[in-house]
Amino acid sequence: MTVLLLAGLLAACQQAPPEPQAPPPAQQNGYGATERAFVELSIATDEQALKLVDLTGRAELRQNRATELVELRKLLDAPFVNNHAGHDMPGMPTDAEIELAATSPDALNQFVHNHLTESLEVLRSAGSAITHPPTAEVVKLMERHRTAELAAG
Amino acid sequence: MKKLFHLATVLALAAGVLSIPVAAQGEPVRVAEFLAECPISHRLPDDPIVLPNLPGASHSHDFFGNHSTDARSTQQSLEGQTGNCNPVADISSYWVPTLYRNNTAIAPTGVTFYYLGEGVNNPAAIQPMPYGLKIVAGNAKATGDADSIARWSCLHAGHVNPSKNFVECPSGTMLETYLDFPQCWNGRDLDSSDHKSHLSYPVAGGCPSTHPVAVPKLRMVLRYPVSGSPAGLRLASGTGQTMHGDFFNVWPRSEMERRVRNCINVVLKCDHAGNHG
Repeated sequence: MTVLLLAGLLAACQQAPPEPQAPPPAQQNGYGATERAFVELSIATDEQALKLVDLTGRAELRQNRATELVELRKLLDAPFVNNHAGHDMPGMPTDAEIELAATSPDALNQFVHNHLTESLEVLRSAGSAITHPPTAEVVKLMERHRTAELAAG
Repeated sequence: MKKLFHLATVLALAAGVLSIPVAAQGEPVRVAEFLAECPISHRLPDDPIVLPNLPGASHSHDFFGNHSTDARSTQQSLEGQTGNCNPVADISSYWVPTLYRNNTAIAPTGVTFYYLGEGVNNPAAIQPMPYGLKIVAGNAKATGDADSIARWSCLHAGHVNPSKNFVECPSGTMLETYLDFPQCWNGRDLDSSDHKSHLSYPVAGGCPSTHPVAVPKLRMVLRYPVSGSPAGLRLASGTGQTMHGDFFNVWPRSEMERRVRNCINVVLKCDHAGNHG
């Protein structure tokens, strides 16, 4: 009976397709498209940033990025896919920059500074757009980290 | 129909007198096509499809068409705005990663969006693209030729072989890139989590059962004022192979429907206004 009902429903659907739908909007304060995009972008950025800050003698930079990655991965609702690899994203050091930083202390300082200031801009943008409380907490954590790192460095 | 016959007859007679090929004359061209030409409107580090509501979080994009497009754009925010397309009726948003030579951004100077009936065997069955459709074509994550559908060539230098990466165009010619969007829709979704899988490419002239609704094929053609060595060229997304395009359909429904009916379904080449000869 259930099968018949399902078959009937399917047939009805084929005859009269529903109006096209955008993905349902996230529930208020839910983990929606903006949260998902932010988390995936931030994981991609922090993974790349780790390669850069590894070149510095500043342990807190490495520790902070690693802590953020743990918190960000907890927020994922699907396997992580890096949609931004190789792109020139704000706050994300490029492979060419990391190579140059490995041979030039001045370049290293500049690229670390750029990573911090640019990703702080992204975080401020995220802070005003993200309503999901656990994601918003990670945004605040990342902002605190970068603000302190800039003050220290 | 009468008009077509009349025109064709006159042209054939004229061609006979002049001993020139009929096809070179202005008879209706049997190509299913309408188009919009939309120069660059603005440039922003925004992406309303991939990074919605996150201004400043994206790699740089060149935006065409709707003047209002930014990270917070929605169907509702775009409709009722103006754009810079010819025809003005098209207020859709289109965007691509910014092209750089070293660190200098280079804007395309020729930007045409063709809507085509080719690729499926039965253009009469092609339906208008759904209003509000969002779609990304190309592979921003491409790591080489194998996972790229980019195509780079030279305008007015057909002897330069097309490539998936940048090519060296002779002086006096222009670097151009083509990108074909998928044209088979799943009939249900205006977007998907990867912003691609609600559409697919046709297989052997037909749309697969998972994506049964044929819609016009969007072909983006960009021309950049670039020639000479491709050294130093890069996209904001990386190599030439990472060329990708984003489309947010806000063509007024009646304008899209009229063009699909008058140009695509009957296989005629239309002008900017959606009229054929």
